[in-house]
Order: sequence, then C-alpha cells, then structure tokens
Amino acid sequence: MLIAAFLAAAIHWPTITEKKLENGLTVVLVPLPNVPKVTAQLTFLAGRGTGYREHPGMAQLAGRVLTEGTTSRTSKQLKEELRSIGGSMNVTVDDDATTITANALSEFSPKLLALLDDVAEHPAYPKSEVDLAKTNFAQEIEEQRSQPDFVANEQFEKAMFGRHPYGFVVPEPSAIAGITREGLKQFAASHYAPNNAHLIVVGDLQPEAMLEEVHKALGAWKRGTAPPLESPPLPRREKRQIYFVDRPGSVQSTIVMGAAAPPRKSPDYIPLRTANMILGGSFYSRLMLNIRENKGYTYSPFSVADLRRRAGTFWTSASVRNEVTGPTILEMLYELDRMRVLPVTKEELDSAKTYSIGTLALEMESQAGFANRINTIYTYQLPRNFLVTFDEKVNALKPDDIQKSAATYFDTYRGAIVIVGDYTKVKDQIAPFGDVTLIKR
Amino acid sequence: MPCRVVALLLAVAAVASAKTVDVPVEYYRLPNGLKVVISEAHTAPTVTVAVYYGIGFRVEPKGQTGFAHLFEHMMFQGSANVKKMEHAKIVEANGGVLNGSTRLDFTNYYETLPSDRVEKALFLEADRMRSLEVSEENLKNQQNVVSEEVRNNVLNQPYALFEWLDLWVNANQNWFNAHNFYGDLHDIEAAKIGDVRQFFKTYYAPNNAVLTIVGDVEPKAVKPMVQKYFTDIPLQSVPERPDINEPQQSEEKRVKQSDKLANLPALAFGYHLPDQESADYPAVVLLNLIVQGDDSSRLYQRLVKEKEISLDWGGGINFELGNEFDYDGPMLLTSRTTYKAGHTGDEILKEVDAVARDVQEHGVTAKELRDAKVRFRSNFYDQLESTFGKANLLAALALFHDDPSRINRIVSAYEVVTAEQIQSAAKKYLLPTNRTAIDRVPEKK
Repeated sequence: MLIAAFLAAAIHWPTITEKKLENGLTVVLVPLPNVPKVTAQLTFLAGRGTGYREHPGMAQLAGRVLTEGTTSRTSKQLKEELRSIGGSMNVTVDDDATTITANALSEFSPKLLALLDDVAEHPAYPKSEVDLAKTNFAQEIEEQRSQPDFVANEQFEKAMFGRHPYGFVVPEPSAIAGITREGLKQFAASHYAPNNAHLIVVGDLQPEAMLEEVHKALGAWKRGTAPPLESPPLPRREKRQIYFVDRPGSVQSTIVMGAAAPPRKSPDYIPLRTANMILGGSFYSRLMLNIRENKGYTYSPFSVADLRRRAGTFWTSASVRNEVTGPTILEMLYELDRMRVLPVTKEELDSAKTYSIGTLALEMESQAGFANRINTIYTYQLPRNFLVTFDEKVNALKPDDIQKSAATYFDTYRGAIVIVGDYTKVKDQIAPFGDVTLIKR
Repeated sequence: MPCRVVALLLAVAAVASAKTVDVPVEYYRLPNGLKVVISEAHTAPTVTVAVYYGIGFRVEPKGQTGFAHLFEHMMFQGSANVKKMEHAKIVEANGGVLNGSTRLDFTNYYETLPSDRVEKALFLEADRMRSLEVSEENLKNQQNVVSEEVRNNVLNQPYALFEWLDLWVNANQNWFNAHNFYGDLHDIEAAKIGDVRQFFKTYYAPNNAVLTIVGDVEPKAVKPMVQKYFTDIPLQSVPERPDINEPQQSEEKRVKQSDKLANLPALAFGYHLPDQESADYPAVVLLNLIVQGDDSSRLYQRLVKEKEISLDWGGGINFELGNEFDYDGPMLLTSRTTYKAGHTGDEILKEVDAVARDVQEHGVTAKELRDAKVRFRSNFYDQLESTFGKANLLAALALFHDDPSRINRIVSAYEVVTAEQIQSAAKKYLLPTNRTAIDRVPEKK
C-alpha cells in the first residue's frame, strides 16, 4: 500500500520555557537552532478595530509609527542599528493584536532586545513621521482597493461582523487626517504595556541565558493599565446574502463565501480544521479535484478555518473567468453541502489526519513560522499543551465528527457570498443564488 | 588615523564572535548522469526531496511562450504507476506538502514531508522522471487551469507583474531573455500533446537534472533508495543550450504604460549585471544591499523618507524569481516602487541618478560596507533555514556549477569585498545607458 495511515513516531517538539516578569510581561523561549539567528515577537492585545468607531485607523497608525523613532533614536538611526546586526523589525496589526516581529543574527541578540524594548517602551511619534505615515497610509488604502482579493476580503469581513471590531479592515482614506500625534501617543501609552503583552523568542538560544537577556532589556519597563478588549455581541444572520462589488473591466470574478465559526479556543476548532483540509485546505482536496482538475474553472480554489480570539469565520474562495462564475458558485455550494449531508470516507479522513499532524511539524522548519504557531497559544488563549496533545485529538476524530462540524459551520444558508467582478457581464449568473446587494466604488 | 584603527578593531571583534554555518554536502553522480546531493540537517524531523531540471522558461521553444510553465503542470497529471493527482494524494496522506515552479533556468518539483517518509518522495519523483503519461483531456484541462493562473496573477491584477514580466521583455534584445515568460493565452491554448511528449523526452532526462535530499536523514540509508529508484532511468541526448547572451545596451530605454486596474502610479527599472562568475559580482551584490537592501538604504531613505515621493521601495537581483545564486545567464538588478499621484517616474529616476552619482564619486562608508556584509550573511542564513531553502541553493549550485559544496564558501567570498570594488561597480553598472525603466500610470477613469 502506498498510502500510509498514521505517522509512526510521535513528534519531538522543542522545549518551551515560559516565565512571567514582575512587570507582567509573559516571556516564552523556544530553542530552534537551525541557523545562527533569533526571531522575537512582542504582541499586544490591541487589534486593528480597537476604538475604531471614534478613530478608525488609529490602532494601525499607532503600530506603524512605532518603528519610526524613539525618545533616544531617530527612525534612521534605528534602521541603521538594525542593519548592523543583520536585523529587521516589522509591525503588523491584525484582528486581535499588534505584533512587533524582529530578527537578527543570534550573536547580536542583546542588541536586538534593547531595540525592541526601546521601540515598545519609548516610542516618540515624531511629528514629521506621523504626518508622512498618515499620507502614505491613505494612499496605500487606495492601492489595496485596486486588488480584487483585498476588496473581496474586506467586504466579507464587513458582511460577517458588521459593527463588531472584526468588521473593520481599513479606514476610509479621508478619515485618517483627523488622527493626531497626541492621540497616537495616548493609544501607545495605554495599549503597549508589558502586562498586556507576551514576548516569544525562537531560534539559536539557550533559555536561561536568553531569559537573563530579556530581563535586562525589558525588565524595567513599567506596568500600564490597558483597557479590556471590547467584545460586543456578533451579528446573527438569518439568511444568505450576496454582496457584489462592481469592478468594471475585471476579467475574472473573485468569489468568497462563508459563514460564522467559533473562537480558536473552542473544542470545535480541531474537527473544523480537519474538515477544512478535506474540503479545500490541501492540494488533494474536494474543491481542487472538482473545480480545478475536473472542470478547469480556476487556478487555486481554497478554503480556510479562520478562527481568532473572539470569533471566527469559515470561508472558501476562487477566482474564475467571467463565463463560469455561476457554475463555480454552484459547485462550491455543492461541495459545502455534500460534507454537511454525507460522511467523508475513512481514506479521506485518515489522509487529512496525517496531513494535519505532519504539516504542523513542518512549521518547525522556520523560526518565524514556529514563533507564529507559539504565538497563537497566547493570543488565542489555547491550552499550553496544545502542541503535544494535538495528534491525540486529531487521531480521535470520526467521520461523524467531521459531518457534524460541517453541518454547523459550512452553513451558507446563513452565510455571505461576496463577488468582486464585472457586474454587467456576470449578473445573470448570480441571480439564482440569492438576494444581491450591489456595491459600487 | 586613530579612528581607522578603532574601526578595524571593532570589525575584528565582530568577525571573531560570528557564528558560521557548515552545511554537510554529499555529492555524486549516477551512471545515467543524474546528479545527487544529500545534506543532513537534524533540527526538525522533516526532509525535502527536490528534483531540478535544467530547463527554465528562458529557453522554451520560440513561438511557444509559456510552454515551460504549462509543461510543469503536466508533470502532476500522471506517470506509469501514479495516476493524475495521485502524486498530491500520496504526499499529503504522508503528512507532507508539495509544489513545483518554473524559473528562468530551471523547473523544480519538490515535497517536504516527515523524514521517515523520504522513500515515498523518491518513488514519486523517479516515476515521473521515467514515465510521464499525459492525455489530450488532461492537457485541455491544464490549459484551462494555466489560463486562469495567468488571468489571476497577471491580467486581473493591477500592475500585472510588470516589474519582471514587462521589464525583461523591454530590457533585453535576445528573444530568449525578452519574451513573455508566463505566456500569451493564445500560445498556451495552442499547445499540442505531441509538443508535450517531445519536451519531456528532450529535457526531462536524468542527465539534465539534480536530485537533492535535505533533512533529518542518514546519507547511508538514503543512497540505496536513490540507487533503487533512479539508476535505471535511461539518459537522453539533451540539446546544447541556445545562445542566450545579451548584447551590450548602449542607450537608456524608457517605456510608458497605462494600467486599467491600478489606482496609483508605479515605476520599475533594471540595470544589466555582470556575469555571476565575474570578479565584479560580489561587489554588485553588496552594492545592491547598500542602495536598496532595507529601510536604512540610500534609495529608501531618499525616495520614501526625504523626498516623500515613493510609498514603498523594493528590488534586488533575480527580483521576484529567485536569489543571487539560483540562475544561469544574463541578469537584471531591478527596483520597483509605487509612488504618489502628482509625481512622475522622471522625478524618481533623477533622484536615483543622484544617489548613483554619489556612490560613483564618493564611494560608500566603512560602516555601510561592514553592515552590508552583516546583512548579506543574515540574508544568506535565511536561505539555509528550511530544508527547502537549502535544497534550492544546493540544487542550483550543482546544476549550474557542478559544485554544491560552494554553499560553504559563499560567505567568506563576500567578506573580502572592498569599498573600492563597490565604487567601481557603481561606476560600471549604475548608468542610465545601462538601464530600462517602465513608468506605469493609472488609466484616466
């Protein structure tokens, strides 16, 4: 038999050392010495939708200008110092968190941590940098809105989350002008506090020595009082709604369809993740076999179990030539419903289990990739033994668990379908699937 | 000069504490000409098996643009003992991932999987090297899929990858370097099954390939497996590579494009580079890091921060297609920037020329040179992090130079570059007459 069932040996995960500093900072250290470098991620629980009703874009701008100067270093000095240690530093602001990711050659790790501390503890928000960032952020949004995938995802988030902070993706460019330097400094002072953060360091390190270095660099940083995460109730959708974003001249329709899913810490996560692999989360998946390899409608259909701290979505997507827009939606709906109505085969499930476990182990190939994985444990409040219990939980799944999961979360009858494309060319193909709201930009 | 002494001492101190990486390399050839590279790495319980064929889109048949890439898709359509899509099925059922890609001078196929599954990957790669089985129906299907790929990645996207697709077409004169690498939809749809079979026979031969195995395996355990699966695949007579040399450019080239889908203007430009084996090459690589290697670099600082014209700045050697080492032939040093409405590409090029002139006249500082070497080493280690990254570099060095152990000599070759060499490289290559630029502006709506 070519197809093997389960992985023979249990995976040997690196030792994870966790320690809370006196200032409340949670420190997590993971040796992964594949190359002489280290990656550090400092994460604050301040997502992009934080305070967006009063100041849309504030969280994103506050994160963006963090690396543009501190009380003792200009932006340029900071970047030159990073260069001298073979380092880089980037800030991302996603639904749940603001994360500073920094890496450098491991021989320079004390310097890397000192720079990370300086940026987090003493951001200066220089006026010229704030002004430039405001202008550039507004222009970048214009640019992002020319990309069909971005437009589709933005509309999908709005459709699924409404006025919940997760429904906010980017501000209207005109709203950015109202953000002030004072406002940004205040945002930083209240949200970027050690007791509202976790620091993950992965790479060529010895935990004890690294803890010492972390303590030296970040131990004197004072506690703050971060406001609690806002978590208003999620909108409940009673029926399917189609949102069509018109993009005249588009030679493809970009389709995103999906429905509400639970938070990542839910016990439903592992069955849903596994169901996703069978539907469209792998190369040999049902969507790929049907609409790519059988019908040739599309290049890369896929699906995602996109589960976050407070809630999630399950969604599937494909970009297809205009003439097959309707037939593709038909097949996507069919594949979603098929998993809700009929059990998956034992062969499919066995394969999905091995794939799920095997690909988790592959994440150990990259310091940044593994840091991201460890970070999910802290950002999404997963059990600390998530990695070591993962294979056991996956292997316990039965076809019935997958069907139940699909029946609950692949429910497009209470979901949203977003299409970005040329409305006049494809509108007749869309009409049979539900009510259409047309959005013109 | 006391300050020079201080700088020297610091430099020595930095070198003394620098950790080096030694990549174990076993290299040999099977009687059928297949090059084999095995490299142990035990940090993660994984292995990458990669086969690199010495055929890239640069030398695909004239008049058949996009054929090398279309063919790459056909390699997943079945072989004697593996049906269509079964390749992916087997790899994933064993907990692994797989892919293939077509680049300038090679086409690669690889899988990364738990290391105790290495034999599955070897079986799969050998089966399709020996016995591709394609049908009219599968070809039609993949012509549709590839056409959708081109629509998805090019025709339906703002900027449409102009920074390599269009830049290479405009910067070069030799058809091999100057055609549409992704392919015209018309050419992709015209491909015939006979062309596919002929292309396989011509280029997908063991004597035109490298098999690389990197990861948590023992060489003495995998060698017999390589022997078992690959040794009796017959060699073929592979044609000589056509002449891909590029005549010297003598005048600056400027191209204006309009973009129906973009909201903001963008500029891309490229300078022709010296041969990888030339003495100037390491200096050019470090020069690239100094002018555009990160946010502290001269071009980023000038255009994004000081002049506030550009929104972003990116670029490099083999930009968006690979790195400084995984190609074999004429190359461009590329830059790409999205810039603010109300400015022009001309304004940006004027600033670029001013930055180039400054390096040409005054050279680079000792600090810039020292930092560029650190930056180079750090970036180089990024390539060695994953088993696939290492396999990619080893395969390219074996395919193009018959010497994968070069991987352990690259860093030291860059430590000896001098400021004078960098200045001289700037004088030779960062010239408007050696440059092609495309200014791409939104179509008036």
